[in-house]
Amino acid sequence: MTDSLEARSYAPIESSIPVGAVPLETIMCTEELHRRPSRPPGHEEENRALVKLVSALADSPSTIFQTLAETILHITQCDSAGLSLLTTDGQTPDVCGKRFYWPAIAGMWNTHVGGGTPRNFGPCGDVLDQNRTLLFKHFERRYPYLLPVVPAAEECLLVPFYVAGKAVGTIWAIMHSDRHKFDVEDDRVMGSLGKFASSAYQALASIDELRFQIGEREKAEAAVHKLADGLEVQVRVRTRELERSTAELLATNKELEKEIAKRRRAEDRFRRSEALLAEAQRLSATGSFSWRVATDEITWSEQLYRIYELEIGVQVTLELIRTRVHPEDLSLLEKMVEQARTGMTDFEWQYRLLMPDRSIKYMHTVAHATRDLDGQLEYIAAVQDVTARRMSEEALAKSRSDLAKVARVMSLGVLTASIAHEVNQPLSGIITNAGTCLRMLDANPPNLEGARETARRTIRDGNRASDVITRLRALFSTEEFTLELLDLNEATREVIALSLSDLERNRVVLQSKLAEDLPTITADRIQLQQVILNLLRNASDAMVDVDDRPRRLLIRTEREDGDRVRVSVRDVGVGVDPQNVNKLLDAFYTTKSDGMGIGLSVSRSIIERHHGRLWAEPNDGPGATFSFSIPSSQERVTDTAL
Amino acid sequence: MMGERSLVSVVDDDESVRESLPDLLRQFGFAVEAFSSAEAFLASDIVSETGCLLLDIAMPGMSGPDLQQELTRRRQKIPIVFITAHGDSTARPRLLARGAVACLFKPFSEADLLDAVGAALLSRTLGP
Repeated sequence: MTDSLEARSYAPIESSIPVGAVPLETIMCTEELHRRPSRPPGHEEENRALVKLVSALADSPSTIFQTLAETILHITQCDSAGLSLLTTDGQTPDVCGKRFYWPAIAGMWNTHVGGGTPRNFGPCGDVLDQNRTLLFKHFERRYPYLLPVVPAAEECLLVPFYVAGKAVGTIWAIMHSDRHKFDVEDDRVMGSLGKFASSAYQALASIDELRFQIGEREKAEAAVHKLADGLEVQVRVRTRELERSTAELLATNKELEKEIAKRRRAEDRFRRSEALLAEAQRLSATGSFSWRVATDEITWSEQLYRIYELEIGVQVTLELIRTRVHPEDLSLLEKMVEQARTGMTDFEWQYRLLMPDRSIKYMHTVAHATRDLDGQLEYIAAVQDVTARRMSEEALAKSRSDLAKVARVMSLGVLTASIAHEVNQPLSGIITNAGTCLRMLDANPPNLEGARETARRTIRDGNRASDVITRLRALFSTEEFTLELLDLNEATREVIALSLSDLERNRVVLQSKLAEDLPTITADRIQLQQVILNLLRNASDAMVDVDDRPRRLLIRTEREDGDRVRVSVRDVGVGVDPQNVNKLLDAFYTTKSDGMGIGLSVSRSIIERHHGRLWAEPNDGPGATFSFSIPSSQERVTDTAL
Repeated sequence: MMGERSLVSVVDDDESVRESLPDLLRQFGFAVEAFSSAEAFLASDIVSETGCLLLDIAMPGMSGPDLQQELTRRRQKIPIVFITAHGDSTARPRLLARGAVACLFKPFSEADLLDAVGAALLSRTLGP
């Protein structure tokens, strides 16, 4: 097919005007149309053709352009007829709006289907530029790339057509000999067919669009059927109109087509938004309804039927709704209905459904009062199935309380073990001493001095047990975890002030380095001070046996990365064995004969409750450093508080 | 009479135990030595003379079970009675399995103490 090679190659897209090409005027003879003798208007034939085209569009939209080309061929009695479409997508050919291509050709040029012309250098382009019907004579004289397209065109009548006011293509009729010359009647009929081309073009475009949606195709074709029906009606109307006046007909026709297009667009939009809405309702488990209060006319969305587990389309009545609403919520329903009837108020209510299988659904309805077109009160409402959310909320609440219980039990377990240890030590002493005392008194002769000594020890151990209880009580007097904004330095200074006399008695030299850039923190002041106090006592106790060097104690506060603060207490005492560091903080472990073994473990649990960390590390020199670090804000602390 | 080996050694970091327990045991006629740590006991010259060891479990430094292992390693077969202030009975089977004679939970009665010490001394006498 060398004849249309150039036309099909699509390159160069921007053909430059070849040297020696004749000017446009030389190939145009449009004005001749009006000077030529003309046939009488063939309205009947035109109408038959249009009706046929319309049913063809409905039956076989994919071949409608070919049918149109054949209609042109038939009605104008020409030799070749076809369409040129301005490219609209990146596919055929590959540059949008820069070429015309020929989707359908009837007659002698039939073999050139698929060919085309450049937008800016060709007869179709000229038609769009001048925005009117043009008649060409041997246009290959100006556009040499048409030379191979044989047989040559003696005359070519080109009519533009439009979509939404924008030219998208042309229809054309060609005579390859001078046996027949186009006249005004051809011009008129072509104009009419051009309008059909526009409709067909839009129909195809919307079909193409609809093809993207699976399952939508049938609907699209139904829409086209509908359009065809509409067109048929309009064609009938037009027949009558035509008889009155051609001008009037053209105007009406334009109007009608506009209306058809508008209606189809509206239908399309409606179908689309309906589909979207249904999908949105399904996804969000939200149904909707409207309720005309005066007539009790209730309309449900499909999703609402699904939620209520009723067959879609069943007529909805208040009685039907009552059969689904949970018996305990029925009185609430009546109240809502009554209230809704009395006046225009938006309302919102939550209720339950009791399904036939005894399962319960939780509903949340938001209704908006409005007036319908007749001014009657109507409610438009959204109903959401919040069952899943309710379930997860309940599950969350339950797991939260389980967690709190576990945390409480665990803390109590640790606490109980610690208390048992602290109390059992002196109790053991009391029992042993009392036993010894009795033995000494029972001896012959009685060992009164020994008995006195053991009795004294008994009293001492009794006091010791009592002390333990007192200290425990003090430690846990603040059962509630009370968060407050506090200045950590100030809290630390208070503890230092409280401990000073103790420290001095133990000949401890205290030095403090409190950072000036500390953020205000959120914490339980009493508990945090308890921890600091424990660390100071711990450090002081660790240095009791230090006599060969000053008993230095350094307490410091620091700001840490990640919005945290750190308090560390450094001593020069016996130090910690790195292996025992973890044991040290364990509630079951104590290194001190008279200390509260519980101190460090409770301190650790307090710090952990503040989402922080308590640790000990040996110093480079003598002694150890105990530190804790906590985040400066404690939004979530209350969740795990005792 | 329990023979010449009736020396009871008490190892506990708790001073009140070191004060009270030896006095009571002496009332029953035992010779008693008290030590504040496992290390101090091992360093003493009475390890081989000890007929019964009353041993605290949780101590700073070498713990009671650590000392038990060390004595086994040294082939010193001293009957051990553990004493602990923790009411955690889960440790008892493990300690007994390693050869301890008894495990007393503070506070314990005189009778329990005498039973345990008696059993320990007896096992020493009857032992291989």
